[in-house]
Amino acid sequence: MIETRRPGLAHACAAVLRRDLTLAWRLRGDMVLPVLYALIVTSLFPFALGPENALLRRIAGGVVLVTILLAMLLAMDAMFRSDIEDGSLEQLMLAPQPLAVMLGMKILAHWLATALPLIVVAPLLAGMLHLPATVIPVLLAALLLATPLLSLLGGILVALTAGTRRSGMLLALMLLPLCVPVVIFAAGALAAAQEGLPWIAPIAWLGAALVLAVVLAPLACAAALRIALDS
Amino acid sequence: MANWIPLWLHKLSSPPVFYRFAGSLRPWAITLAVLLGVIALYGGLVLAPSDYQQGNDYRIIFIHVPCAWMSLFIYGVMGVAAFIALVWRIKLAEVIAMASAPIGAAFTFITLVTGSLWGERMWGTWWTWDARLTSELVLLFLYLGVIALYHSFEDRRQGARTAAFLALIGIINVPIVHFSVNWWNTLHQGSTIRLLGPSTIATSMLWPLLTMMAATKLYYIASLFGRARVDLLTLESGKDWVRQIAQNEVRG
Amino acid sequence: MNGASLSSFFAMGGYAVYVWPAYGVFIIVLLMDWLAPQFRRRRVLREVRSRMARQDGRKARASAPASLEEEGRGEGLRLP
Repeated sequence: MIETRRPGLAHACAAVLRRDLTLAWRLRGDMVLPVLYALIVTSLFPFALGPENALLRRIAGGVVLVTILLAMLLAMDAMFRSDIEDGSLEQLMLAPQPLAVMLGMKILAHWLATALPLIVVAPLLAGMLHLPATVIPVLLAALLLATPLLSLLGGILVALTAGTRRSGMLLALMLLPLCVPVVIFAAGALAAAQEGLPWIAPIAWLGAALVLAVVLAPLACAAALRIALDS
Repeated sequence: MANWIPLWLHKLSSPPVFYRFAGSLRPWAITLAVLLGVIALYGGLVLAPSDYQQGNDYRIIFIHVPCAWMSLFIYGVMGVAAFIALVWRIKLAEVIAMASAPIGAAFTFITLVTGSLWGERMWGTWWTWDARLTSELVLLFLYLGVIALYHSFEDRRQGARTAAFLALIGIINVPIVHFSVNWWNTLHQGSTIRLLGPSTIATSMLWPLLTMMAATKLYYIASLFGRARVDLLTLESGKDWVRQIAQNEVRG
Repeated sequence: MNGASLSSFFAMGGYAVYVWPAYGVFIIVLLMDWLAPQFRRRRVLREVRSRMARQDGRKARASAPASLEEEGRGEGLRLP
């Protein structure tokens, strides 16, 4: 028997992360699509509601949040799609490294590739709707906590639909009940900041939920994948 | 301790045994449910006096409240069955969980419609983003998600197990949604529906309500057994006991 | 119950528009929930019977070798 050195966990994590980010970079066009979608949706609102500054300012926070959520939903379906098709996900399931950690890395890579560009353009979207500049740091904080939460929750659901062929609308139906609290707290923080009220409490709730999700969601994701691909 | 209870349960989890057991219990459950339902409707619609504040339209509570209670109760049953299905991989538990989902969705739908009819009368609007109504709507989406996920798999058992996992996630989600919607409501000063306020409820109103609760429970048992029987027939359609039933049915 | 009280019962003190649709929805939805599995049951049993008939026909044709007997047994029915 040949003694081979098994790569360590950190090494495997880095490899998964690097591979996914490289793949995402090769398909830069797909990365731009959600951003473009968010820009289009946001620019439609003034046409639909009229260009009054006061009205737009009032709805700006909520519109930006929901737009970014929908843009993420658009990209979520593809989270494990190519890995299931080329069989690399099954390799990952057979690998000696814990599946939950590997899936956590894949979700992180997906978040970096889709949510981060959206967060970068979020101030632009908010500016288009005249969100006051003082609220923009709160918007960024809310997004930095809410988008990874959505990615983690979405990861579980994408894993559940892994064995099915079409899942776009199904994913939206399943995600809606899960994302209600996230939207409420993120939008609540924005509304409070806009009215000059303390906004720490909802942000803290989001942070607490994110900590819980970072620990539990990869485990749930791994369990879901084992159930969905088990035959 | 009695040793026969686990033994009996083990026997019951075999599909043909459960099929016969459910078939013999189902007519009793539905007869009793219809009987109690008619008594409750008579008590609620005819015998109970009209409320001095709200007139006659409070009579909606005789169906609204039992249905709202059932929508949560059935989700609980589905969650327990889903847990058993995932941990012990018992076929019957998968069937029970998946048969519960459409019944729960039906009760949730009734709750929403009757609640909005009530709201139209009380504040002149069909829909308000009240904490309880919103939670109930989210519950309906959870049910629909479970049903849709179940049907999106070609393999029935795999679909059932996957949807069972989603049902368990939903069980964690329901209290979180309720808490967050409550928080959101205090933030936005929403109105609340009070179908059963803190005011004391007269006995003439209470007994039809309790009877209707019993009737909906029994209806759930009957409907669940009916659906579970059909699901078992579908799952085991290659087995001999199903063939015998199919043959007997054509003669009888 | 005389005619006047019966009509006043159906009028529900002017709230008939709210009370009766609520009860109607309750009964119609539960009736649909009750009937759906009955129809499905009939369809499932019909499919089982037609498959049995197909298998019997095949068995009759290939009666001499009698090796196809077990074919198709144990596989689940697939319904939409």
